[in-house]
Amino acid sequence: MATDSIALGALATRNVELRQKAASARRWVFSIGIVLLYVFLLLPILVVVVSSFSPDQSNTYALSQASLRWYREFVASDDFVNAFKFSLELAAVAAVVATAIGFVTAYGVTRCLGAWRETGQALSMLPMMVPHILISLSLLLLLTFLPIPELAALVIGHVLICLPFTISGIAASLEGIEPDLERAAWTMGASRWCAMREIVLPMAAPGVLSAAIFAFVVSFGDVYIAMFLSGPDMTTLPIQIYSYVQWQSSPVIAAITTVQIVMIVLFGLFIERLVGLRAAMRI
Amino acid sequence: MRAAQPSVASRIAERAFAPALLGPVTLLYLAFLIAPIGYFLAVSLLKYSASAMYLPSVTLENYRRLLFDGYYRQIIYNTLRMAAVVTVLSLVGGYALAYFLFRMKSRWRSILMFLVIAPLMTGVIVRTYGWIVLLGSDGLINWLLQLIGLTSGPVQMLDTEGAVIVALVHIMLPYMVFPIFSSLVSQDPHLAQAAGTLGAGSTRSFFEVTLPLSRSGMVMGSALVFTLTAGSIVTPSLLGGKNVTMIGPLIYQLILSTFNWPLGAAVAALLVLCQLLLILFYFRKTRRGY
Repeated sequence: MATDSIALGALATRNVELRQKAASARRWVFSIGIVLLYVFLLLPILVVVVSSFSPDQSNTYALSQASLRWYREFVASDDFVNAFKFSLELAAVAAVVATAIGFVTAYGVTRCLGAWRETGQALSMLPMMVPHILISLSLLLLLTFLPIPELAALVIGHVLICLPFTISGIAASLEGIEPDLERAAWTMGASRWCAMREIVLPMAAPGVLSAAIFAFVVSFGDVYIAMFLSGPDMTTLPIQIYSYVQWQSSPVIAAITTVQIVMIVLFGLFIERLVGLRAAMRI
Repeated sequence: MRAAQPSVASRIAERAFAPALLGPVTLLYLAFLIAPIGYFLAVSLLKYSASAMYLPSVTLENYRRLLFDGYYRQIIYNTLRMAAVVTVLSLVGGYALAYFLFRMKSRWRSILMFLVIAPLMTGVIVRTYGWIVLLGSDGLINWLLQLIGLTSGPVQMLDTEGAVIVALVHIMLPYMVFPIFSSLVSQDPHLAQAAGTLGAGSTRSFFEVTLPLSRSGMVMGSALVFTLTAGSIVTPSLLGGKNVTMIGPLIYQLILSTFNWPLGAAVAALLVLCQLLLILFYFRKTRRGY
C-alpha cells in the first residue's frame, strides 16, 4: 500500500511537471507568434521608409549610400505636389465640417434622445456600415442629374465617411462629462444653447480636437470616395499614387508615402497625448 | 423660481434645441446617403442602354446575367472564397493580438496598441504599396530568399492570388483586433478566475470561458473584414493584376470603362446583400444565450 501511494505521488509530480512544461512551451509559441504578427504588421511600412532613401531603383542598399534623391524628385513633380496640397485642403475642410456636425450630433445623441440613445448612436454609424464604393458610386450617379459641382460631391463624400469617427469620438468624451454641470447652469438661468457652448464645449475640447485630427487622417487616406468623384483638377494624393503605381513603380512613391506616414504617426501620437487613441477610436 | 418670464424667441430656441442638433446629420444622411444609395440600387433593376445609361424599363436581366453567366459567376465565387480565406486568417491573427493586448497590463500596452492602430491610419494605398515593394522581383523578400539560397533567381510573387491575400490580411488585421479586444475587456474578469479556482487550467478556462464570451467581438470583426475584403478594389488590382478577379475591380470597370450602370449596380447590390446577411447572422449570434 505504502509503495503504491509513493508511486502515485511520483506520478502526480511528474504529471504536474509535464503540464508545466507544456504550458511554458505554449507560452513560448504564443510569444513568438505575437512577435511575428508585429513584424508582419510593421514590415511593409518600414520597408517603404527604408526604400525612400534608396540611391537607385532597388530597395536594398548599403546604409552609407542613402540619399534624398527621391524626395527631391517628389518636390520637383508638380502632379504629386499639387495632389498633396489638394488632399491637405480637402482633408482640412472635411475634418472641420465633420467635427462641427459631429459635435452637435454627439451632443444631441448623448443628451436629448433618452431611451432612443442606443438607436441614435447605431444610426449615426451608418456610413461606416455601408461599403465606401457604394457611397461613392451613388454620389456619382446623383451628379448626373443634380446640378451640384463635383467638388461639393467629393467634400460631402468625405464628410460622410468621417462622421462616424467624429460622432463616436466626441460622444465618448461627452459621456465623461457630468450632466449635472449643465443642469446647474440651467438652474442659474443659462439656456441649453448657452450651457452647451460655455460649459460642455470647453470641457470636451481635447476630445473634439482629437476627433478633428482623426477625421483629417480618415479623409487624407481615403481612396474609394475619391476614386469615383475626383476630376482632372482635383486629384487626391492616394488617387494620384494609385494611377501612377498601376503602370510603374518608383521610389518616388516611397518618398511621398514616407512623408505621409510621418505626418500620420505624429498626429497619432498627438491624439494619444490628448485623450488616448483608445478613447478616440472608442475601443 | 424664475426671475423673469423667458421671451418667446428664447422659448422657441429651447424647443428647437434637440431638432436643431440632430437635424443636420439627419438631412445629410437622407439626402446624400440613403436616397442616392436607394436610387443606385434601383438602377440595378433597369435595362442597360449604351446611349442613355439606362432605360426606364424594369428587368431582372442584370441579376440573371450575374448568376448564370459563367464569367461573372466565377468572379463572384472567387471573391467570396478570397474574402472567406482573408477573414479566417485575420480572425486567427487578430484574436492572438487582441488577447495579447488584453493580458498585457504594463505601460507598454498603449505603445503596442498604437503599433496596431498606426498602420490602419496610413490608409489602404500606403499599405498596398508597401507590399508591392516587399514582394517585387528586387524586393526584400526575394533578396532574403536568394541570400539564404532558397532560390537562385527572383520568384514571381506580384500578380498572384497569394500576394492579394497576404496584403488584405495585413490591411484587415486591425479591424479584427479592435472588436475582439473590446469584447475581452468588457468581460467580467472574475469569471476566468472562478474557472481557475474550480480547477480549470489556464488552457481550459480560456477555451471554455474566455473564448465563448468574446464571440460577439469575433462575429462583428469577421463581418466587417468579410465585407471590406469583398468590396476592395485597390489591393486586388495592384497586387493581383490580371490574374486575380474580384468584384471590386469588376464594378470599377463596369461603371468607369463600359458605363454599364445597371450591371455595376447589380454587382454592388450583391455586395450589400452579402453584408446584410452577415449583419443578420451577427444579431442572431449575439442575441442567443451561451
